Amino acid sequence: MTFALAVHSSKGGTGKTSIAVNLAAAYALDGKNVCLLDVDIRGPSLCSIFKPDTYFWINDMLSGDREIKDTIHDVSERFGTKGKFFVGYSNPDINQIRELARKDRSWQSNALKNIIKGKKELSGKNIDVIIFDTSPGVEYESINAVAASDIVLIVHNSSIACHNCTDQLIKGIYSPLNKQCAIVDNMCHPNVLGPSEEKRFGINVIAQIPCMCNVATRNNEILSLTDPDHVFSKAICSMKNKIEDFYM
Amino acid sequence: MSEKELLEEILENLQQMNEKLDSFIGKKETAPDQSKKGNIAESLDIMTLLSLPDHLRTTATTLFEIGPATAEEVSKVTLKERAVESNYLNQLVRMEHVEKYREGRKVYFRINEK
Repeated sequence: MTFALAVHSSKGGTGKTSIAVNLAAAYALDGKNVCLLDVDIRGPSLCSIFKPDTYFWINDMLSGDREIKDTIHDVSERFGTKGKFFVGYSNPDINQIRELARKDRSWQSNALKNIIKGKKELSGKNIDVIIFDTSPGVEYESINAVAASDIVLIVHNSSIACHNCTDQLIKGIYSPLNKQCAIVDNMCHPNVLGPSEEKRFGINVIAQIPCMCNVATRNNEILSLTDPDHVFSKAICSMKNKIEDFYM
Repeated sequence: MSEKELLEEILENLQQMNEKLDSFIGKKETAPDQSKKGNIAESLDIMTLLSLPDHLRTTATTLFEIGPATAEEVSKVTLKERAVESNYLNQLVRMEHVEKYREGRKVYFRINEK
């Protein structure tokens, strides 16, 4: 059975993309067939990391012009993963981003249908895990991805603003959609965070990743692949195991 | 006729009555409403879906997930009575979030594509 996971946060800059990419790589290394999808169509990131040679985009799948199979790319050979590792990219062209920002509610309604259809198609292609890398806050594309997911991985930092907005997201989005959630504290500063918690807002805190400058400076690497002994890679691996144990 | 057979016959008759009622309601609801003439149907996007009451949101979310379906198919997912789901689906039809159509003897519902 295919398991879909949305990596989301209330605020930008919490490290969603790093976590989504490394988590996808960790699942693929472990032998799972994974599909990582960039649904942050207003601020795409995966193109900068994977530098793909592609003609069709996730944008085309959302608008119903292409099936999901036409928009994803197999990178398993390039990274030597045990399981299949597919990536779907959002178009970084500013004209496309502007065009999508103008779309109306009817288009967004069809985009939700297409994302659910895409999930079913990936299930038919024996994909075990789908990971949506989303934009922060309440954007249509993100909430559509949340609605299509089985679990929401909330990436949280230690600011008061992030804390308050996450509380709002849980009450106003995740709970009404009956979504299972897990919290990841990223870029933690121990002197600010205080004692580690097992639960926050009634939700399991499954990882607390310390703030490390060399995660930022090595952002051209996928650390789970290039440096599995790094503290960040180990935290990702532990997170993966907890998701498997508690939610899958 | 055994008690089990009798109950099955009653159930079948009730289902036929429900389908006929659905058909009757469908005809009434598809009749043009002059007060709404010129209005554009409300698209059921995720933000609108989130603003629906809990019971209708569950029904609409299920319809998004499984695609066009009968009230019975929706009720199998939501684990509510078929008649209850039929009522919720017809409420969504009246709100113009959902379309109702007939294929043979069955009444289907789907998210409005207008």
